[in-house]
Amino acid sequence: MLSLGILAFRWVSLAWIVVLALTAGSLRRPALAAATVAVVAVWTGWLTVARPRPTWPVLAGDLALGVALNLVAGLVMPAGTVGERPYFAGGYPVAAAVTWGAARGVGGGVVAGLVLGASLVAGQLANGIDLASSEPAVLLDLAGGTLNFVLAGGAVGLVARLLERSAGQLRRATEETIRARERAARLAERESLARQIHDSVLQALALVHKRGRELAADGPVPPGQVAGLAEMAAGQERALRSLILREPEGEPTPAGAASLRAALESLATAERLLPVTVGATGALWLPAGHVEELTAAVRQALDNVVEHAGATRAAVFAEEDAGGVVVTVRDDGRGFSYDERRLLAEGKIGLAKSIKGRVEQLGGTMAVTSRPGAGTEVELRVPARKDQRDH
Amino acid sequence: MVVDDHPVWRDGVRTDLEASGRVEVVAEAADGGEAIERAREAMPELVLMDLNLPTVPGVEAIRRIVEESPHVKVLVLSASAEEADVLEAVKVGASGYLLKSATAAELVDAVVRVRAGEPAFSPSLAALVLGEFRRMSGTSEPGLTARETEVLRLVAKGYTYKEIADQLFLSTKTVQNHVQNILTKLQLSRRYELMRYAIRRGLDRT
Repeated sequence: MLSLGILAFRWVSLAWIVVLALTAGSLRRPALAAATVAVVAVWTGWLTVARPRPTWPVLAGDLALGVALNLVAGLVMPAGTVGERPYFAGGYPVAAAVTWGAARGVGGGVVAGLVLGASLVAGQLANGIDLASSEPAVLLDLAGGTLNFVLAGGAVGLVARLLERSAGQLRRATEETIRARERAARLAERESLARQIHDSVLQALALVHKRGRELAADGPVPPGQVAGLAEMAAGQERALRSLILREPEGEPTPAGAASLRAALESLATAERLLPVTVGATGALWLPAGHVEELTAAVRQALDNVVEHAGATRAAVFAEEDAGGVVVTVRDDGRGFSYDERRLLAEGKIGLAKSIKGRVEQLGGTMAVTSRPGAGTEVELRVPARKDQRDH
Repeated sequence: MVVDDHPVWRDGVRTDLEASGRVEVVAEAADGGEAIERAREAMPELVLMDLNLPTVPGVEAIRRIVEESPHVKVLVLSASAEEADVLEAVKVGASGYLLKSATAAELVDAVVRVRAGEPAFSPSLAALVLGEFRRMSGTSEPGLTARETEVLRLVAKGYTYKEIADQLFLSTKTVQNHVQNILTKLQLSRRYELMRYAIRRGLDRT
């Protein structure tokens, strides 16, 4: 809004300069006057079309133009008339002071105002006015002009900062509201999930209860039926456990992040073919995409263990390390001698390669340690993303 | 002694333990307050307890039981791995922690080992403890030595004490000592915490 207002002011000032140049009639150096009007028109047009950000080069150019206008006014207006009649420069240099104030605050506005004030003095000298022998009224006029520039720049700087601050407050309040809404949505989702799971747990319990009594009454129990009951109970236990682990209590989820521990724990609970323990040094909040990729990599590693290792158990361990994260998947299986090149030649490395690919996509590395008879350890190391650490 | 508020679960645990022929259940309790009383009367070698208990919470019951009879070992058997609770239980004197989904054989094994003075660190507990020490590093808390950290990390990766001993060229007994020292440091850190708290309160009052 502020910058649109300044643009409008520029165009009005430019129009005023043109009107003045055409009506004054008695301008000295008409060519210089025409060239100056052209430069101001081009600059204003560019600012309007390109809407450049107020970088230092843009600000410097604008201030230079304001200074030049004050000087040219002195050169093109009839000698000794600058103080009495409206400036050839019009209000245009004020736009520079105001722009500096808007972009760089009170300090910027005041500095630009002082520079423009100094160029006023230069303009007077160029107009052939002998300041040393001038009347006090002329000098006061000059000081007043300088003060106008400084006040305009400083005041706009103040307003701009106030606007920025309230915009920041508004943004923070909005973010807060969005977060609160997200929390509420998560809670609602959790509740509906809890209801579903409670329902199925109750059903399973009722069935275990009923079938248990029937089996007990029937005398000797076929093992298959007991195993069926146990599997049903285990399934419900897994569902309940993953619900509990979905979100660690008391810890709010950082925006866009997920807990690696929670993801690994649900993965381990869902693994039916192998007992898997999960250890983590904390919740390990990472960007949600990282958690997804790492969990997928660990799932593949576990699949590999189930298929090839002949292990009785596996352990997944995740820890923070220099802001990054290290995940280890270890099994107590038969192990093998890991030689990437040989395995590659024998075409046996498909899965390991896919795990490696996932980790490398995150800028990480994979290392495999294994010896025949001593199990296998797969280490996935992913560095912290710089932009994640910076805020 | 078995402490749990679900009678069916208590029965199941008692059956599992006694069927092994290596453990005798001398008492049962259904809540925290009862656990403190029964432990005083029955003088068990080991208390196997849930953390989620009525009347007195599990962690507080453990603290009181260990305070009254320091030789009693406590093994936590809990349904959910609530990080804060488990760490707090270990800090007040529990020697180990087991998930309720552990098999009967694992349960008996852990009970026998803890009774013999061997801390039962599950991989997940080892990871939690490692994280706790990492958070405490930089404070005045007693930290872990490089060797202790190494041992703890291997436990977290699921290695048995025997496997760790082989890998680090140590005796199994030395590895156990390291784990015991880690536990002692963790319990010490809580005492420091309490002391600092007391000092702060005392200073505030003057």
